[in-house]
Amino acid sequence: MKGISAPIKRYDFDEKVEGRARYCADLHPEGMLYARTLRSDRPRAKILGITIPPLPDGYFIVDRDDIPGKNSVPIVYDDEPFLAREVVNYVGEPILLVVGPDKQTILNLLTAIRVDYEDLEPILTIEDALNCRENFIFQDRPHFVEYQYTKGDISRAIARAGCCIEDVFQTGYQEHVALETQSMLAVWEEGRIRVSGSMQCPYYLKDALVQALDWPEDRVRVVQLPTGGGFGGKEDYPSIVGVHAALAAVKSGRPVQLVLERGEDIRCTTKRHPAHIHIKSYLDHENHIIARDVEVLIDAGAYAGLSSVVLQRLIFSVCGVYRVDNLRVHGRAMATNNVVSGAFRGFGGPQAFFAIEMHMENIAQKLGVDSLEWKKAYFLRRGDTSSTGGLFQSEIVLPRIIEQIEEISGYSQKRRELSGRQGWRGIGCSVFFHGGGFTGKGEKDILKTRVRLVKRSASEIEIRVANTEIGQGAATTLRKIVARALEIPVEHVAYIYPDTDLCPDSGPTIASRTIMIIGKLLYDCALEMKEKGQEETLEVTRGYTYPAGLSWDNARFIGNAYAEYSWGANVVEVEVNPLTLEINVLGVWAVYDIGTPIDERIVKGQIDGGLVQGLGYAGMELLQSRRGKLQQGSLADYIIPTFLDFPPIVSRLVENPYENGPFGARGLGEITLVGAAPALALAVQNAVGQPVRQLPVSPEYLMELICDE
Amino acid sequence: MVKTYRPNRLSEALRIREQENVIVLAGGTDLMVRNRSWSGTLPAFQQDVLFIGHLEELKRIKKEGGLIVLGASCTLAQIMHDWRVPEYIKLPLAQMASPAIRNVATIGGNICNASPAGDTLPMLYALNASLQLNTGQGSRIVNIQDFITGPGRTGLQDDEILTEIRIPIADFNRQYYKKAGLRKANAISKVSFFAVADCRHDRIREVRIALGAVAPTPVRSREGEAILAGIETKARLDAFPDLKACYEKLLSPIDDVRSTKKYRHKTALLILEDFLGQGLEGG
Amino acid sequence: MNSVQFVLNDSEVNLPVHPLKRLIDVLRDDLQMTGAKEGCGEGECGACAVLVDGRLVNACLVPVGSIGGQSVVTIEGFRHSPRFAILKDSFEQAGSVQCGFCTPAMILAAEALLSHHSNPSEEQIRQAMAGNLCRCTGYTMIVEAVQLASRKGEGLW
Repeated sequence: MKGISAPIKRYDFDEKVEGRARYCADLHPEGMLYARTLRSDRPRAKILGITIPPLPDGYFIVDRDDIPGKNSVPIVYDDEPFLAREVVNYVGEPILLVVGPDKQTILNLLTAIRVDYEDLEPILTIEDALNCRENFIFQDRPHFVEYQYTKGDISRAIARAGCCIEDVFQTGYQEHVALETQSMLAVWEEGRIRVSGSMQCPYYLKDALVQALDWPEDRVRVVQLPTGGGFGGKEDYPSIVGVHAALAAVKSGRPVQLVLERGEDIRCTTKRHPAHIHIKSYLDHENHIIARDVEVLIDAGAYAGLSSVVLQRLIFSVCGVYRVDNLRVHGRAMATNNVVSGAFRGFGGPQAFFAIEMHMENIAQKLGVDSLEWKKAYFLRRGDTSSTGGLFQSEIVLPRIIEQIEEISGYSQKRRELSGRQGWRGIGCSVFFHGGGFTGKGEKDILKTRVRLVKRSASEIEIRVANTEIGQGAATTLRKIVARALEIPVEHVAYIYPDTDLCPDSGPTIASRTIMIIGKLLYDCALEMKEKGQEETLEVTRGYTYPAGLSWDNARFIGNAYAEYSWGANVVEVEVNPLTLEINVLGVWAVYDIGTPIDERIVKGQIDGGLVQGLGYAGMELLQSRRGKLQQGSLADYIIPTFLDFPPIVSRLVENPYENGPFGARGLGEITLVGAAPALALAVQNAVGQPVRQLPVSPEYLMELICDE
Repeated sequence: MVKTYRPNRLSEALRIREQENVIVLAGGTDLMVRNRSWSGTLPAFQQDVLFIGHLEELKRIKKEGGLIVLGASCTLAQIMHDWRVPEYIKLPLAQMASPAIRNVATIGGNICNASPAGDTLPMLYALNASLQLNTGQGSRIVNIQDFITGPGRTGLQDDEILTEIRIPIADFNRQYYKKAGLRKANAISKVSFFAVADCRHDRIREVRIALGAVAPTPVRSREGEAILAGIETKARLDAFPDLKACYEKLLSPIDDVRSTKKYRHKTALLILEDFLGQGLEGG
Repeated sequence: MNSVQFVLNDSEVNLPVHPLKRLIDVLRDDLQMTGAKEGCGEGECGACAVLVDGRLVNACLVPVGSIGGQSVVTIEGFRHSPRFAILKDSFEQAGSVQCGFCTPAMILAAEALLSHHSNPSEEQIRQAMAGNLCRCTGYTMIVEAVQLASRKGEGLW
C-alpha cells in the first residue's frame, strides 16, 4: 500500500504553471455575446412591472418567459426559479439577463431598465422566521425542513440526571472565494446546446438544462473546463448560471459567455449556513454524561436548495466523536429573505463540531477536569453505535490520533504550562470526524452512479467519470488508482475533463466521495479489466452497491448515516494581542486517519488548504447580513487568509486502511476544514479566559467578552 | 468618451490642469477601483484624466537642509527603498496594501484621496508635513492638517497639482506605529497610531502623536503633546489620565463593515497607553 | 491620443486602445494573453499580477496609458526563460499547484522577489507574496517552492 502514496507529478501541472490552462473566461469563440444579470435589490417584493428601454440591434433580454420548460432548479424541492417569478425573495435574486456583443452597451441598458417593486415584509433572521405565523416564504411553514431523531430513552435519562449543562452557539456565513468566479459558456451547435464552464457537478447542470429547456437529454451536452476552485460553491449554483447562458445561446443562436463579477459572486451565490446550536448535556450523580438534547436552527435563506442535506449532516454530527446512549436532536432549516445558503466544504460539519467541542470543553471546565482526558473516556470505538444508532464496524483509531498529536504539538504539556498563568496565550485541541459519501442511502437511492473504464489498447486506458478536477487532484489520484490496479505505468491511463457526451453520470464531486467511492468503483473496473486482459479493447462499466452490513431508515434517521468515516484532531496555539485583540496563531498541528493516502503531496496540499480555509472561517471571515444584504461585498471587506496570517502546519497521518476504499483510502476533501474552528476557538478561549460561543472570533467579539460594560 | 492627457513635462501638465476639466491620476490604485466598471469595459471616469505618474519632476526624492522632499508621484515602494528617508517615515508604508500596490500607489495619491483610514496621513500629520501645490502661475505651501478638510475632501483647487511633500526631519529616537487591521497583510486600518519622540537625559523632550481611522480626518493634538513635553521619562505613566482625557474627546469613530465604534475607541486608547509605557521606554 | 506603445515580452507593441483601458483587458482581450487572470478586479487578489519594468503590479489597476514606453512581462513571455524552468520544477516538487488559477501570478511574484533577493528568508517570501491570494494550498507549499528555486537557481538570480 505504501507505493501508491508516493507522490507523482500532477496530471494538470504543466498547463497550469505555464498559464496555458484555459478557464472559461479565457475562451472567445467567434461571434460570442456577453450576458449580464439584472438582480433584485429588495429582500422581498412583488415585481409589479419591468420597463425595458428600446434595445439596439443585436441586444436582447432573457426573462422567465424564455424558459420553455420548468422555471425551477432541480434540487431537492425544486422551489428556486432560474429567473424570478412574481415575487423576489432575496437581494441578488436573478430577474433577467441583458445579452449582446458590447459590454458597455449592456451596462447602459441595465442601468436604464426600471423594475417596479411592491415591498413585502421580509423575514430577515432566524428569530423572525421562528416568530412567523403567516406570509411564509416556503409553502405553509417558516422552515424548509424539520427533522428530529432520538436514541435510547431520553426522558428516563433526564429523570435520573444530577445536573444539566447547556450552551448556545452561533456561527456565521462563509463565502468560498474560489479564485475563479462562477463562469459559463453556452454554445448552440447543430440543434444541440453545449454548456462549458466552471463546475463540480456536470450532471446537475445537465439535469437543470433538460428541465429548463424541456429538450431530450441527447440534445444537451455539458463539458467541465479547468475550474479555479469550488469548495462546494460550484455544486448547485452553476445550474443557474449555466441555464442562464444556455437560454441566451438558444435565443440568439450565438455563443454566450456569463462570468460573474467578484462582488456578484460574494453577495449573490450560495454561502455556508449560519447556525444556532443549543446543546444540553445531562450528567448523572457520578458526573457521567447520560443524555444529550440538541436544538439546531440554520438560516437556509430564500430557497431550499441543499439545506435539507446540510441540516442532516449537521444533526448527525453534532454529538461529535463521543458516545451517548440517550439522545434527542431536533433541527430546522429556516426560510429567510437572505441569500441562499448551500454547500461548503464540511457541509454542516464545521458548525456541528464547533458546538460539540466547545461544549465538551465547557463541561470539563465546570467539573474541574482536564478536557482532553475527560473527552477520551467518551471516544467512540468499534462496536459502538453512532448518534443515529449505526454500528461502527471499522477500527476507530482516535487513541492513536491523540497520541500522534500530542507528540507533534506537545498539547497537554503546553496546556498545563499555560493554565494558571495570567497571560494572553492559549492552546486548544479539537477532535472530529467526517462521514464520507452521501448521507444515508443517498449513494444508492438518489444517485445512479456509473463509472466507466475504457481500454483502447494495452497502453491506452481512459477513465470516464463525471467527477471533476477542481484543484483537489482528482485527475491525478484516480489515474494512480487505476494504473496500480492494472499494474501498468500511470502514463498509460488518461482522465478527461468530464463531458456528458462521453462520461456516464458518476454523481457529483462533493461529500468527500471522489476517491473513496468513485476511486473504489474504478479500482473494481480495473480489476475486471485485468482479468479480461486478453481482450484488446474493452469497456467496463460499474455501478454502486450499498455495502452489506449497513442499514439506513430514512424516515426515522436510524442506522448508518455514513458508510465510513475519516477521523482527526487539530491543535492550535495562539497569542492574543492585548492591545488590539488580534489573534496571532503561533502553531497549527493536525493528525488525520484518511485511510491510505493515494498521493502524499496532494494530501498535504489538501490539509494545508483546508486548515487555512477553516482558520479563516474561525477568525477573520466576517460576513454579515443587514436588511437582507450582505455587508462585505468585495475582497477588501471580506477577508480571507494571506501568506502572512498562519504559520506552516505540521501534519501527520495515521494509516488505518478502510477495507472498502481503493487501496484503503477514506474521504479527505472536507475533514481538513472541519476541525479548524473549534481548535482555534478553544485556544482563544483559554488565552483570554472567557467562553467563546460564536464564530468568527473577531477582535470586536473578544472585546465584548473581555470588557465589563 | 473620456479624454486623457499624458504630458511630458510638469509645466504642460499644469497648463492642462488649468484649462481642462480633469481629474489627476498618479498611480491610480484608488481611482481605478473607485471608477471600476465591468471587466473588459473602460473605467467610468466622469472627467477627463491627466496622467502625472510618469513625470520625472514629480518622482524625485531630495534631502534639503532639515527636510525630506518627496515628489508627489513617488511610489510607496520607491520611498521605502530610498536610504535617505528616515525609518520612521517608512513605518506606515511597510504595512500598506500589498507589494504590487506599493509599486504603483503614490504618496500624492494617498494624500489627495484623504481617506479617514489613509495610512500615510497620521505620519504626515505628526511630522508637520507641508505640501507644495502648483499652478501654471506659481505655487503655495500648505500644512497637511490644513489641506485635508474632511473625509475624502481636500483644499486642492481645480487648477492645482500637488507636486511635493516636504517633511521636516528631526532627531526622533523613539518611533512607534501600530495598525489594527482585518488581517496581517493587505488590510484597511481599523485604527492606526503613529508616534515619534525625542527622549534624552531622562526626559521626554518632544513627542508627536497622530491617530488614523478614528475620526473623519487624522487626529493630532498639540495639547496632548504638550502634556508630555519636558516631563521626566520615569514619571510618564502619571500623565496618562490627562493624556487619555485629551485624546478621548477627539475620537469619533464609526461602526462600519470592518469594525465597530467601541472597538476603535477602546483600542485607540489602549495603544496610546502602550505607547506611553512601552513606546517611550528607555532613555 | 488613442494609441499606446510599450514593450511586451521583449516585443514592441503599438495598439489603438484607449489609454484608460486596464492593462489586464489589453492583455486578455486585445492580445489574447489569458495567463493573467481576473479574480476580483480591485487589486485585492493578485491573480492579474504582471511585471512592469521588473516590478510586480496588478494589471487590473493599471491604465495602459500610464505604462507608455515601459517593459511588461507576462507568464507567456516568462515561461521561455531558464528562471521559469527552475521555478516550474520547484513548484512541481513542492506540490504548489492545485486549481491553478493563482499560479501564473504566483510565479511572477516569485520572480519579482528573487530578482531582488536571490536568497530570501521565509518571512521575506511571505511578505513579498502577501498580495497574492490562494484559496487552495494554504500557502506553505508555495513558500517551499520559492525556497527550493532560490537554492536550485544558483547564479540565475
